[in-house]
Parts: sequence; C-alpha cells; structure tokens
Amino acid sequence: MANHNHREVMPNQALRSLFSYKNMIKILAILAICAIFLLPIYRLIMLSFTSDGNLTFLNYTTILQDAATWQVVQNTVLVVAGSTVVSLIIGVSLAWLVAYTDIRAKRVMQIFIVLPFVIPSYITTLAWTQFLGTDGLYMKLASLPPFSVEPIDLYSLAGIIFVLGFSHYPLVYLLTVSVFRKIPRELELASRASGAKRSTTFRKVNMPLALPGIVSGGFLAFLANLDNFGIPAFLGIPAQINVLSTYIYQQVVGFGPSAFSRAATFSVLLGIVALIGTAIQWLFLRKSKRLETTIEDKQPRYFLGKRKWLVELIIWVLFFVTGVVPLISMGMTSLITAYGVDFTLQTISLENYQFILNTSSKAKEALGNSAMLAGVTAAVGIVIGTAIAYLRVRKPNFLSKFTEVSIGLPYALPGTVMALSMIFAWMEPVPGWNPGIYGSIMILFIAYITRFLILQVRGSITAVMQVDLSMEEAAHVSGAKGWSKWRKILLPLLIPGVLTGAFLVFLSALTELTVSSLLWSSNSETIGVVIFGFEQAGYTTYTTAFSSLIVLLIILGFIILYVSQSYWNRKVGKRT
Amino acid sequence: MSKIKFLFLLITIFTLLAGCGQAQEGNASSVSGELNFYTSQPDADAEKLISAFNEHYPDVNVTVYRSGTEEVISKVQAEKQAGEVQADVLLVADSVTFESLKKQEMLLEYKSDEAEQIPESFVDPDGMYTGTKVMSTALVVNSEKVSEMPTSWTALTDADSSGQVVMPSPLYSGAAAYNLGVLTRNDEFGWKFYENVKANEPMITQGNGDVLKAVANGEKSYGMVVDFIVARAEADGSPVKLVYPDEGVPVITEPIGIMQKTDNQPAAKAFVDFVLSQEGQELAAEIGYTPIREGVSAPKGLKTIEEMSVLEADINELYQNRELDKEQFNQLFGE
Repeated sequence: MANHNHREVMPNQALRSLFSYKNMIKILAILAICAIFLLPIYRLIMLSFTSDGNLTFLNYTTILQDAATWQVVQNTVLVVAGSTVVSLIIGVSLAWLVAYTDIRAKRVMQIFIVLPFVIPSYITTLAWTQFLGTDGLYMKLASLPPFSVEPIDLYSLAGIIFVLGFSHYPLVYLLTVSVFRKIPRELELASRASGAKRSTTFRKVNMPLALPGIVSGGFLAFLANLDNFGIPAFLGIPAQINVLSTYIYQQVVGFGPSAFSRAATFSVLLGIVALIGTAIQWLFLRKSKRLETTIEDKQPRYFLGKRKWLVELIIWVLFFVTGVVPLISMGMTSLITAYGVDFTLQTISLENYQFILNTSSKAKEALGNSAMLAGVTAAVGIVIGTAIAYLRVRKPNFLSKFTEVSIGLPYALPGTVMALSMIFAWMEPVPGWNPGIYGSIMILFIAYITRFLILQVRGSITAVMQVDLSMEEAAHVSGAKGWSKWRKILLPLLIPGVLTGAFLVFLSALTELTVSSLLWSSNSETIGVVIFGFEQAGYTTYTTAFSSLIVLLIILGFIILYVSQSYWNRKVGKRT
Repeated sequence: MSKIKFLFLLITIFTLLAGCGQAQEGNASSVSGELNFYTSQPDADAEKLISAFNEHYPDVNVTVYRSGTEEVISKVQAEKQAGEVQADVLLVADSVTFESLKKQEMLLEYKSDEAEQIPESFVDPDGMYTGTKVMSTALVVNSEKVSEMPTSWTALTDADSSGQVVMPSPLYSGAAAYNLGVLTRNDEFGWKFYENVKANEPMITQGNGDVLKAVANGEKSYGMVVDFIVARAEADGSPVKLVYPDEGVPVITEPIGIMQKTDNQPAAKAFVDFVLSQEGQELAAEIGYTPIREGVSAPKGLKTIEEMSVLEADINELYQNRELDKEQFNQLFGE
C-alpha cells in the first residue's frame, strides 16, 4: 500500500474502531449538527429576509443604505482587529516567556494570567475607569512628577480596544504555551548551529510550528472580542461609539415590530465578519507544520541573565493592572457596607458574603445549577468536540470545514441574539410541536453546548495537530489498533490540550450571563442570572461579593487542575 | 350491629360531606394550577410578592422570569413569533411598553375592583393594564462633592456642573425613554433642556444602576435616575442624596397586565387583584417602593404620589413617537 493511501485510510480506521456503525453515526452526527447549530442560525437568517411576514430584501437594502450602519461596521472592524492584535501580542509574548525563559514563579503566573478571563468584564471595566478616573489612583500618581502627564480617556475607541485586548489574551496564552513547550529544542539548536540568529530561528522554526496554537487562540480571542457586549457598552455608550454587538442589542431593545428582523440582519452582518476571520485563520493554518514529538519540555531554553528582573517587573506590572487591580477593586467593594463609602476599618464587614451564602438561597442553588451545567457541557464537549477536532485535522474535507464554521458562529453572535434565535428554534422545533425543551433546564444545556463547543474544538484541534500522523502509524504498525491505540497513544498525548479546552468551556459556561438571562426559568437560575439580578436591583455590593466568591472558587479549581495536569504529564513522561 | 351500621353511615356521610365541601370550595374560587409571571422587579421583591400571594392562594404555583424590561419584552415577542407566549401575567416598567402590547392585541381586558382605589390616570381606561407603584425620576447628588443641594432640574444644565452630569441612555433604558418623551413634550423643558444638558458634556450610561454608581463613587456629582435605588443606597450609607426638583418629576408606574392567551385566567386575575389590594400595596411600600394606591404611605426617604408634582404627557402620543424621540436623541448626542 502506498504511503499516500495509507495516510488517507488511517483516520477512518481509527474512528471505525471507536464507533462500529460508522455511517450511521456519521448521518446522526450531521443531523445533530444541523439541528443544534444550524437551525437557530437558519431561523435567524430567514428572519433577516422577513418584513411584515413577507420574504424580502428590504431589511438589507434599508440597513446597507444607512450611513450609521457603515460607521458601526467600521468601528467593529477597528475594535475587533485592534483588540485581537493586543491579545495576540500579550498572549504570545507571555507564552514564549513562560515556556522558554528562566523567569521565576511560573506556576503562580499561570493563575494571574487566567484572572482577566475569569473576572466578569463589567467589573474589569469599572475597576479600570476608577483607576484612571479624575479622582483615581492614576491621576494622583500623575500629579507627582514635575512634568505633566496626560489623563487617559477610557471612553474611546482606544480604551475599548485595550480593555478588550487585556481581557482576552488568556485565550491566546492558554492555547499557545503548551505548543511552545512541545517544540523540540533540538530543532532550535540545529537552526542556531547552522548560523541562524535568534530572531530568524524564532521566525522560521518556532513560529511555523506554534502556528496552530497561536491561530486557534487568536481566533478565539477574535470571536470573543466580536461578541463582547459589556466592555463596548460600558465604555462605548458614553462616547457614542457603537459596535455591532451593542448596536444589535439597541435594535432589540428598541423593539418596534421590525426590530427582530433588523437585529437579525445586523447579526448576519456580524456573521459575515466572523466568516472573514475564519478565512484569515484558515490562510494562516494552511502553511502550518506538525510536530513529531509531543512531550512538553519545561526546562528553560533562554537565560535572561541581568535583564531577568526587568522582564519580571514588566510581567508583574502587567498582571497588576490587568488582573490584580480589578480584583482588589472588586474585593474592596464586596467588603464595604454601602456602595461609594470609603474603604475604612469602620465600613468593612462580611455581611455581603453572609447574605450571599446564608440569607439568599438563590446564590447556593445557582452555584449548584451552574456547576452542573458547566460540568455536563464540558464533558459533552470533551467527547464530541475532540471527535470533531480529530476529523477536522485528519480528514480536512468540505464537511469537516463546514462543521467547524457552523460551530464557531454561535460563539461570535451576541448573546442576546443567540438566545432569541434559540427561542425561535426550540419552542417549536417542528411548527405545531412543542416538546417542552424551552422553559426547562434542557434549553440551557443545548444553548451552552451550542455556544461553547468551539472552545473545546479549538483546544482539541491544537492538541491533535501536535500529534504527527506517524505516531498513529507507528502504533498501528506495532499492532495497537482501535481502542487500545486511543488509550495508549492518542489520549495520553491529547489530554493536556483537551483539558485546556475543557477548562475554557467550563469557565465560560460557569459564568455565562446573557444567554441564560433570556432563557432561564425560575428553577434553573445560573450564577450569571443571579449576579445580573443583584446588579440590576442596584446591589453592587452583593454582586461583587458573589463575583469574588466565584473567582476564589475558580482559582481553587485552577490550582487543582494544574496539579493534576502536571501529575498526568509526569506519568506520561515516565511511560515513554 | 346497629352501632356498627350507625358508625358506617356516619363515616359515609362525613366522607360525602367532606368531598362535597372540597368540590364546592374548588368551584367557588377554582384558583390553582400554574402561573407564569414575567417581571422586571428585582428578584427578591418578586419572591416576597409571591410568597405573600401564596398565603392566600396556596394552590397556585407561580414561576417567575425576571430581567430588565427590554429583555422581558424581547422574550415575550420572541415567544409570540415562535408559537405561543408562555407568560400569563406581566409586570414591567412603564405604560408606553404596555400600550405597544395593547396595540398588538396581546393583552386581556380585566377591570379589577381594586383599581378603583388607584388614581384614574394610572389605570388604562380599556382595562388592559394598571399601574402598581410609583417610580419617579429625580436628581441624585453626591453629598461629599456638593454641599448645597439643588432644587431644580437646572442643576444638570448649569455651566457650573459642566463635566459632572450623568444620565441613562433612552436607547437602552425604558424609563429614560419615557422621561425623554415626557420632558420634551413639556413647555418648561422641551428639546432645549436636552440641548443644554448636552452642552455640559454629560456621561451617558446604559442603565439607571450605572448612573447611581457613577455618582456614588464620585466620578460625577449630579445624575438623573429613578428614585427608589437612590433611597435604598442612601439608607445603606452611600454618599448620595435624592432630590425631587421643584418643577416636578416624570413618573412610571410598573403596570401589571394579563396576557391574552393565558391558560389560567382565574389565577392571573387573583394575582392582579392581590398586587393592587391594600395588602399588596403595603407590601410594596415595605419592600421600598412608593405605593400607587391612595392611602398607603410611602417608605422612608420617598414621597407619596400625593406629595409629588407629576410631569405628564399623553400616553398615546408617547407611544406613537417613541422611536422618533430616540432617533432625535441619538442625533443630538451623536454629533
């Protein structure tokens, strides 16, 4: 058998061994993808072509002729491109520093890196505006030096770009750092020995090999920046800057009879922006290369020497402003008795926490609900998402590409629109038949899986791309087939990457806000719904107490995950 | 033998009687079953309302969906488009919102007897919806930054307060959209008022909560905001003060209405009655709102409806022009 053929046959065999009724599974899978991912989008697209119950292009013609639309699209492109670049620069730099250099306290750093992704974005923006405001710490510091320091106005395009970029760099970091570690140092050494400079080596060896991770992370950051509502709403509305996500929300809440159709039309525009992003990441990934070894190498490769303290200082300052300042601000607010009073020994108490944990039964129920929802979503994601990722990498045909795009779209759509289209799709999946999914907790499971599966798929794709086909072939030649091949070769190699994806899914589902706030019913409250409820009632002190509690729990979970991950790595390392 | 027979007869009679009694009681009120209640009231408040209602009607199982007015309405509209509205009773911010539902024939006519105790202007003449409480929009002032409390809305337009003003965007907040409609139709204010506010370079926030926050933390000195959140924050000790300007205040009434396609009319009607009743109104005052029923006093820090001078405009005109008002606001502040 020619090697070429062999390479094509392999993936089929790998999966056939997993599922014996392969074709049936395939058909079922296509149907499931259509129902779960495409039905809501289909309903949305249909709606954008509807006006007064008739099929028409009217929505498009009016919206595209409106100058305001183009201003919004222009803002969106600027904001999303800018913030994605910020996320990429910080994420890749940090990943490189943590993976390759001899900076200290890397374990602790990992926790600080995840923080900006964990802290709800309205808390982050609130903290930033307080920090940079007229009475804030920044202006107090700025008045110290003899020369004048310009005040920074966060209520601007640049402000939105930076806060978004700072909030989403963890996505890039998490998908990149293990890829960097897996690049064999021998390759770098060979390149250096052949006379290449450090920068050339980075450009010609590290970058192409790390590209799957960087592009996956960058793509997720791009989608997250495109969808984010909290930051552009908080910083953009005062400055009259609209992006697609806030503009769509504005259309929905305007709720004239034509508002849904208009919102749907804008959502289709947003979908087009997301598709352009997908095309760009595809262009990048086309040239990427795969690795042959897959063991994480955690020993430092570059010694920073005398500059080490400076690099460390820059990193900790970055952590301080992106993670610690918002966190401290949130923690301080959670301890005071009333919002706006000064933080002094007289005004602090734990009564907000007592309310959350003791008085309000909702908070505890929500914790349980969200943990269960997030757990199930992550578990389903691990199985289905990894299977899709495996197919996507090993059999890159039209179907698998189509699947990936379909799964990515719901993550990019604004939560409000996504939730509304879920109502359209699931109240009567077949006209006249209401299976009772909408109105029960089932709708939340479906919504979370629809929305967050892409995080798992990207995490798993990065993991699968790191496993060269020759590894599977070797296993095959040595007689390991089917389940034993997965168990002994593939799973151990994939698990760290798969877990990163699952971690992102779990975190996102745990603190999800917009989708659940429209879809929940009274016995399925989630953490996000409860926080949103407190916030809307004006109880910012309760909001911050609950959020602080969640962040503490997540940090705890992260430590557990980190320990078990490194334990797993050691175990796999020993075996090979 | 006869003793046993007698006992048997007695038991039979009692059983029958008990059975009859139950059946009769059930027919008389026949208030039971499921009730879907969609509201924009804070969760804890809705919870208190329902447990008080259940004391009278223990057989009604009330399910709550709570979110901002805009989201609640979006959900109702989406449900309507998807097949059927799940809500039975709706209680959200303002009458203009209800007017739109009324025009879409989504509401059920119900003239509650309790509504007779409520000022006529807050009850829909066709019986589609009734106000449940009084929420005025007033001034919030940071008491640490401002020593002399203002008495007029001109606090927002004075040159002195340039850069110190914050207000919610009518594009996002239902209450703010209502205020915009009322103030621009009022001779004393008109669009000139908003133009003067605009000259002070105000901060425009998404919702009322953000306004309170910006004033409480000292970012701004003066804000335009719904009264009860200020009264609560003030009572908790936040450095804010609630001021009712002399010119009067626009008022929203959180109306309640029954959806046309409700599956449980008796329970829905009983619920509406309860909210408007003396007991329901006293509960609202206890929670911290200004009640709407005559003769129920307002909580500490808030004025009763009799004490307020209310700025009003024709509901129908407000409903007809809401989109235009918003657009004009957007153009004015977007410049």
